[in-house]
Amino acid sequence: MSLITPELKARFDAVVARYPKGQEQSAVIPLLHAMQELGGGHLTQEHQQAVADFLNLPMSKVHEVTTFYTMFSLKPRGRQHLSVCRTLPCALCGSEDVTKALSARLGVGPGEVTADGEFSYEEVECLAQCHLGPVLQVGDTVYGDLTPDSTRSLIDTLSKKGRP
Amino acid sequence: MEACPLYLTKNFKNPAALTFDGYVASGGYVALKKALSMQPQEIIDLVKAGNLRGRGGAGFPAGVKWGFLGKTEGPKYLCVNADEGEPGTVKDGPLMEFDPHQMIEGIAIACFALGIKWCYIYIRGEFYKAHRIVQKAVDEAYAKGVLGPKVMGSGFQLDVALHPGGGAYICGEETGLLSSLEGKKGFPKLKPPFPALKGLYGAPTIVNNVETLACVPHIINLGAEAWNALGTEKNGGTKMYNVCGHVMKPGYYETRHSITLRELIYDVCGGMKPGRTLKGVVPGGSSSPILLPSEIDVRMDFDSLGKAGTMLGSAAVIVMDDRTSIVRALDNLLHFYSHESCGQCTPCREGTHWLYLISQRIVNGEGKAGDVDRMLDICNNMVGNTICVLADAAALPTQSYIKKYRAEFDAYVLDGGRVGLLGNREEKAAAHA
Repeated sequence: MSLITPELKARFDAVVARYPKGQEQSAVIPLLHAMQELGGGHLTQEHQQAVADFLNLPMSKVHEVTTFYTMFSLKPRGRQHLSVCRTLPCALCGSEDVTKALSARLGVGPGEVTADGEFSYEEVECLAQCHLGPVLQVGDTVYGDLTPDSTRSLIDTLSKKGRP
Repeated sequence: MEACPLYLTKNFKNPAALTFDGYVASGGYVALKKALSMQPQEIIDLVKAGNLRGRGGAGFPAGVKWGFLGKTEGPKYLCVNADEGEPGTVKDGPLMEFDPHQMIEGIAIACFALGIKWCYIYIRGEFYKAHRIVQKAVDEAYAKGVLGPKVMGSGFQLDVALHPGGGAYICGEETGLLSSLEGKKGFPKLKPPFPALKGLYGAPTIVNNVETLACVPHIINLGAEAWNALGTEKNGGTKMYNVCGHVMKPGYYETRHSITLRELIYDVCGGMKPGRTLKGVVPGGSSSPILLPSEIDVRMDFDSLGKAGTMLGSAAVIVMDDRTSIVRALDNLLHFYSHESCGQCTPCREGTHWLYLISQRIVNGEGKAGDVDRMLDICNNMVGNTICVLADAAALPTQSYIKKYRAEFDAYVLDGGRVGLLGNREEKAAAHA
């Protein structure tokens, strides 16, 4: 339980309180999101175990969730993780070229992390921003109407943002 | 084309409506106040009479669904389906980001009518911004006494909590959503029993889409007759449509059900890009069968599109111009469905995967004679054979794309697959030469 500081415990308790007594398992997704954020974008075995212990669940119940839902990553991601939409509405507007430009600019393939640890990207299914396609999402920001050129400039902008 | 008065989107350019006071100034929470003075059954009857069709995709009458809720002294739940993810669909996100109190008012009215004291808003995990905005609005609604132990000073108690998803299309299916809310992987459950009798934690549960609930205050305010007059027969009210793909002005629009697909594309969205013509259009999200340019004089309501052999679904219009390779478009969607199948039912887990593998073989220039018919054969073994409709959602478009553009599929197999999604010639490496 070493990962769960008193502050985190208070936060987790507030999440669990949203659900009826005996249904604490419902909190597993929100708690894993919080853990993943604390872990810098991915979940280690230790993170998952901490959530399992906190909710009194067997590890298998947590693992079932972390392997089913695409937002959870068991592999390290870049400090800035880019989700590029690949589904039809974005593809019709040129997302294939955007992804190629992105991959070339970063010098990594999907799921890989740049050498400086700053960026990773993956192709995701529909982000429900289809009118803005092609889109990519970084954290809570959605960038739309992308072209290969604007994607390269976006990386330049994000690189500056990433520096301390 | 008659201009449509705006209800659902009337506050989209009024940022003040994000706050409680701003929403009240725009006429908000009047419907809730009125509803609290009505008999619960009166409200259910009004929503039934208003022909409010479920906005999540199925178009099932919301009032009828409400009528199925099991009677019990124990807990009952309302779960708001805010897991928007049907490719092409953009409506619940903006409804939450621009007018969260409208949804909260709908929730409160629905819960009062149904005797429900606890509501979860299952919000798509990637919707960080909408989550933040809705959470703020919920917090303010508690502070102002719209939620909590005495809703607007009445004896009615209501608690609302947000629950983020984890990134899985299947959780937009109502029983998959409930599994996910219970902290499990999003496996849909066999129906019956329907959630209205045995849903969240085994208790009677109503699952309603965001847009469905956002309509409810307007039905209370306008009355069933005026609400019906905005729509078409058995399709009450106005509707959110999102148009994307190869049109001049992609975007989401609130308009009447009586609008035709042609008017939506050419009048509302400014038509095709210069020099381009329409090749095909998906009218209701990627799971709906495709329509040819000759089939677009159809009204955008649930029943008219049903008669046209497709569906209104989530009212997400995906427009494809003459450059588009229909074979590659289908291939893109088959990747989607094979990726999003939860894997519970064999016909779907294997069927979506096989369809994608064969499609990949075709687009990679290795298609074999009989492959296109093999895809149709697989579809026939998927439709109606699974717990939920994801298998149908993959098979029905596949059947329609192949049926309506068969020559293009056959030519693609013969040609060895050198056409990209946007009609560009792709020279293949000589590996198979």
